Amino acid sequence: MKSIPRRALLGGAALALAPLARPALIGPALAQPRWPARPVQMLCPWAAGGGTDAVLRIIAILLEKDLGQPFNVVNRTGGSGVVGHAAIANAQPDGYTLGIITAEICMLHWQGLTEVTYRNYTPLGLMNNDPPGIQVNNSAPYRDVKALADAIKASRPGQLKASGTGQGGIWHLALAGWLGAMGLKADHVRWVPSNGAAPAMQDLAAGGLDFTTCSVPEARAMLDAGRARSLAVMAPERLSAFPDIPTLKEAMGVDYQTGAWRGIAGPSNLPAEVKAAMDPALGRVFNSQEYKDFLNARGFGLVYADAAGFARHLEAADKSLGEAMKAAGLAKV
Amino acid sequence: MNDMLEAFRLVAAADVVLAILASAIYGLVVGSLPGLSATMATALLVPVTFYLSPIAAVATIITASAMAIFSGDIPGCLLRIPGTPASAAYTDEAYAMTRRGQAEVALGAGLWFSAIGGIVGTLSLVLMAPLLAEMALSFSTYEYFWLAFLGLMCATLVARSSPVKAIASMLLGLLIACIGMENPAGTPRFTFGVTNLLGGIEPIPALVGVFAVSEVMRAMVTPEPPKLPRRKFGSILAGQWALTKKYQWPMWRGNIIGIIIGVLPGAGADMAAWVSYAMSKKFSKEPEKVGTGHPEGLVEAGASNNASLASGWVPALLFGIPGDTITAIAIGVLYMKGLNPGPTLFTERASSMYALYLIFIIANIIMIPLGIVMIRLASLVLRAPRSAVMPAIILLCAVGSYATGANLFSVVMVAAFGVLGFVMERNGYPVAALVLGIIMGSMVEQNFITSLIKSDGDVLPFIERPVSAVLAALTFGALLWPVGAWLLGRVQAGRLRAAAAPR
Amino acid sequence: MQLSDRVTGAFLVVLGGAAALSGSRLPAVPGQDVGPAAFPMLIGGGLVLCGVLIAFGIGHNFEVTEEAEEDTAPSGGWFRRLAGLRALVPPALLLFYVFAVDLLGFLPTAALIVFTAAMALGARPRLAVPIAILAPALVHLVFYKLLRVPLPAGLLPAPW
Repeated sequence: MKSIPRRALLGGAALALAPLARPALIGPALAQPRWPARPVQMLCPWAAGGGTDAVLRIIAILLEKDLGQPFNVVNRTGGSGVVGHAAIANAQPDGYTLGIITAEICMLHWQGLTEVTYRNYTPLGLMNNDPPGIQVNNSAPYRDVKALADAIKASRPGQLKASGTGQGGIWHLALAGWLGAMGLKADHVRWVPSNGAAPAMQDLAAGGLDFTTCSVPEARAMLDAGRARSLAVMAPERLSAFPDIPTLKEAMGVDYQTGAWRGIAGPSNLPAEVKAAMDPALGRVFNSQEYKDFLNARGFGLVYADAAGFARHLEAADKSLGEAMKAAGLAKV
Repeated sequence: MNDMLEAFRLVAAADVVLAILASAIYGLVVGSLPGLSATMATALLVPVTFYLSPIAAVATIITASAMAIFSGDIPGCLLRIPGTPASAAYTDEAYAMTRRGQAEVALGAGLWFSAIGGIVGTLSLVLMAPLLAEMALSFSTYEYFWLAFLGLMCATLVARSSPVKAIASMLLGLLIACIGMENPAGTPRFTFGVTNLLGGIEPIPALVGVFAVSEVMRAMVTPEPPKLPRRKFGSILAGQWALTKKYQWPMWRGNIIGIIIGVLPGAGADMAAWVSYAMSKKFSKEPEKVGTGHPEGLVEAGASNNASLASGWVPALLFGIPGDTITAIAIGVLYMKGLNPGPTLFTERASSMYALYLIFIIANIIMIPLGIVMIRLASLVLRAPRSAVMPAIILLCAVGSYATGANLFSVVMVAAFGVLGFVMERNGYPVAALVLGIIMGSMVEQNFITSLIKSDGDVLPFIERPVSAVLAALTFGALLWPVGAWLLGRVQAGRLRAAAAPR
Repeated sequence: MQLSDRVTGAFLVVLGGAAALSGSRLPAVPGQDVGPAAFPMLIGGGLVLCGVLIAFGIGHNFEVTEEAEEDTAPSGGWFRRLAGLRALVPPALLLFYVFAVDLLGFLPTAALIVFTAAMALGARPRLAVPIAILAPALVHLVFYKLLRVPLPAGLLPAPW
């Protein structure tokens, strides 16, 4: 494997890809701040190609333009996000390893799966929030969410089956929370754990499930294909990308809302200069046309909070998700 | 017609042509490095696609994945180290051909039938996408359970050793797949308190360990094998046409199985290769030759895994449901580029769709000349001294497995699996069956457990639906085969031994 | 490392039993009838069964053809005995990589690994030294530049 022609070939590939790999990377570097002086690693606790990965990658590109240093995305996956989240929290707090944290960070520790909580991070900015929808098979008899709710109330416990993510995942909690808001027990509808939203939507279309509670963007292709219908969204207001789907409050008068959010954070004790540089930079990223176009194209919800706001959000989310998990019997403690 | 012309114009754009060429070379290189899979090749392209036009972005992914799946055959054939999991099923067969001095036939078959499989798969995508999509959507967890079970049974058909040991290896693989918390209950299992084990054992480090590291370990303890007779490396494509005619039926069977498995979300090229190789062994007219360097299995499985690659795009394009890990990444890129998956993609963006088809065809055609160059270069490895090749392989094992998750723990895993693979191989336990168990483990459990949850513990729903009933019947047929074969083997043991002796 | 079928079979019985036992102790999941215990218990049971069958030599006659193929294997008895230890060189080198790479950096660590492996395989220093210099540089170039894998710089940062 060490022959000259082989090397020439590799070199050729490198040369061929080089122009693709880095056009327009050198953006307007602002007044040479001391940080970042070298490339920054951005850890993603979820696999390449997923929603979190996509959001982080667009953020990384825009940060690169804004701060003038490469922001390299590294996927550190596994253990329902435990491994990657722990890696961000345990990184050297020098500002050169940051990452994206997701709603799961306020759930995993309640399940006793990790010691890491939101307190182990320096929050830098909340970048996106996707509320869950309620989707049924297109041929299902439920015309609106009220009909589905009535069917749920009339069913015996465990008779109806729902899915959307793994056991104890955010969409499982969404179901539990919705059932709780209707005055039902959290396990009145049996949760079928799945490897994410896509297999759940597939099973819904194949007639294997009664409904799913994954986010609307995740269900989008099936909705477009006419294989599934979204009855309601568990959000304070209708989604801009899906204006036809009513909120739970509009459709049945139940006020319950939750969401899967994503934000940028670093390990705790991050130097003040890093925070001072990142906080406004993330704000500029969020307000850029590229970021808005990208999230709108995928139907992702545009929600932003600066470092201080993200910190408040984390504290509140940790409390409310913890309560939901205790109510659903999913928490260890 | 206008759409078709527009598609040609889209594909002929300079940036698209350049993207296809560059990603073809890239895919060939990455796929041939042990430890770097086709999925990895695609994932690493994602940041690059940010800067490309929509068609160029999709072109890089299509081209790189097709090339990587083919070139995974190269190190498998030359060094007995499969480059991607999809090649693991028939690595021993291809390596046996190399040892018999037929490396060019084996590699040529891999190349030629990969290209044919890719083109047939593309035609299925063009002509039957709605039909195939309908089929994919009729699969609920019950059908998947039987399918995965059937895939596992392939272990006994593929292995050349005792079926009992093959099943034991496969079960060991399933047990290894239990490690971590990637199970339906989300409960950590067999992690012994190690955080890194929470994520479970990835197939790539296991594959690299049991094949590559154990191969280097074997090299350490065996004297350098006699050099292959030094001769000119023969023509790569000569003889492929003869093979095509001779094994026409296995080739078509491989194509069809590849298309069907590819279109089912979650199964993918790895499983297609396994099932096809097992089929070719089962239905071969010369079963005694299978496993000793016989091209029939390579024809069928080589065609199959590339055919599955194209059909895997059907559910991805129509419903945004990934057929395998590669299309999972591709879907993200499609969304990013405004080519949102869904039936409207076929109507409103018809020119883009045609362009996509064209890229598939082009990728599979340029695979042949580029593949020949790659094979010629790679085959120099056969002439290099073993003490120069093997150290480089160790290094690639370390870096390649590190690259998948940027985690040094996977290097530890590679070392552990190297020892495991070495010991298993020495004692007649087929390591390929272990890899199959690890690849399929989570799919089997996921669909078994969720089906049980959905049926409230009842067995009837498992066989109630028409497709699941057929699959269940097939599975029981495959299950009973080893028992029958064992009985048959006892009767024929004497005759078998006599047949094997002259070799 | 050649063990009898009785030994490997017995090992599988023990492993399967342990898997089933510790699997059965896994906590049930609230709200679900089927939990994380079912699958390991099933596999453990299967392994025990296979282990018993192997220990009693059932299915062994299928391996006949396998032995006939192994004509490249060494035949000398003394070589086998030494073999066990040398076989451990590759995994040991990988572990060395894990512990040394962050400290020494990629290039020195890789060079050491390649050199040691080449020498262990009987290469002369005339071959081993150039390989130990070329291979790490080449691998670094491909992975660090082309694939953007973060390889640690350590003591000797790459010149590119």
